[in-house]
Amino acid sequence: MMKKTILGLLAVTSLAWLGGCSSIGQVNAWEKGNLAKPGMTFESDPLDQRFTQHIYGSKENSSGGYGVGGGGCGCN
Amino acid sequence: MSTHNTPPTPQSATGVLLASLLLPGLATLAALAPASAAAETAPEKSTIAVKYGSYSDSQPGWDRIKATAPQVYVQAPIAGEWSIEASGVADNVSGATPYAHTQKSGASSGGKLGMSDERKAGDVKITRYMARSAISASVAYSKENDYKSTALGLDARWSSDDNNRTWTLGFGAASDTIDNTASGINTAINEHKNTQEFMGGITQVLTPADIVQFNLTRGVGSGYFNDPYKSYDLRPSQRDTWIGLARWNHYLEPFDASLRTSYRYYSDTFGVQSHTVGLDWVQPVGKLTLTPGMRYYSQQAANFYFDPVLNAQGQYDAFGTLMRVVGLKGYKSADQRLAAFGAVTLSMKIAYAINPDTVVDFKVETYRQAADLYLSGKGSPGLDPFNAQFIQIGLTRRF
Repeated sequence: MMKKTILGLLAVTSLAWLGGCSSIGQVNAWEKGNLAKPGMTFESDPLDQRFTQHIYGSKENSSGGYGVGGGGCGCN
Repeated sequence: MSTHNTPPTPQSATGVLLASLLLPGLATLAALAPASAAAETAPEKSTIAVKYGSYSDSQPGWDRIKATAPQVYVQAPIAGEWSIEASGVADNVSGATPYAHTQKSGASSGGKLGMSDERKAGDVKITRYMARSAISASVAYSKENDYKSTALGLDARWSSDDNNRTWTLGFGAASDTIDNTASGINTAINEHKNTQEFMGGITQVLTPADIVQFNLTRGVGSGYFNDPYKSYDLRPSQRDTWIGLARWNHYLEPFDASLRTSYRYYSDTFGVQSHTVGLDWVQPVGKLTLTPGMRYYSQQAANFYFDPVLNAQGQYDAFGTLMRVVGLKGYKSADQRLAAFGAVTLSMKIAYAINPDTVVDFKVETYRQAADLYLSGKGSPGLDPFNAQFIQIGLTRRF
């Protein structure tokens, strides 16, 4: 039930975002100062992310989703 | 919303979008150079970063694995329209893992009582920057005692005229070889696994304080998926995945802080579905940046994972479990990582900018994995909880 709720919210949010794009996202270049701050980037420290995702990939079934191009390992 | 910041150039705003789309592991160090990491413009400066990672895990009464991982990363501009990036890591791993469920390995069980291994991996990526787009190609190689992997990646990204939206397409392929004859165990002899990944994504500036991203990844894998060090392990030779990733970063002007949130949905043909939620608060304080964070993960069990047999006291019954295995037909696995469980990570990162081009950072994380952290409250029975600590120390220099 909770899972369906989460997925439903995600789907609705995504559709609202993708479908209603004519009314959102009209941000001018001079308004993007805060968006340019380091804290607002999605991949702020790739070595940190690589180390952490490598650990999760070796201790959990799920991995990936953040990009493509990396190789596998026989992790324990 | 007003801002006290100097209005950035359109290029730097585009950089915000495109830096966020770069592939993990191969991305530029946006923490140091969020603007100059723009995909359309090659970086003006070179970057070198080193990081030392340390990892240890345990379950009650048993220290399992210890690992260290020094990493290095370099990026350099070429002729104003290109960049090259390269990185390398040398993992050193020692300890032991369970032979089934969370049972300690031993010579009599056929598992590994202790192991030591080193993995060396490296990758190179070249990016071509154009007016409103960028194309990257990368290769990666990883080698350890019993596992070799070769991978390539291609991705393209382009932005809208107003730089408020960026699309990305990516393709990755990996070819792996698994062979443990060198260690004399001989449970995997010249086995192979091939995987391909296709990714599409969109990143959108919503407001002057909000940016969101959605990526969809399709993975197709075939070959050897068994764990050669687990007893009773026979897995399908095909594993296909769907992964959806949604991220939303919000800037809180009263605190001069950023809230990073993420949700990942994962589903594969082993029957595993998982949910991952991440939350980070990025708080600059003078030359310091403090980033406390948390992550929650929950997965259901693979459809061929089997529970252990427990005795009347609720303890692991090795003989009963063996008898259960004997009666199982087809695919089977007692790998804890295919069970139903949940996990929580708490983290704190502290970065200090010695000057605008030099940053040192320290990060500590504590991780707990347990059946009772499963999303619906009750995961797979008979598993000991699992704890881990990760520590990273890094230095990044731009020149």
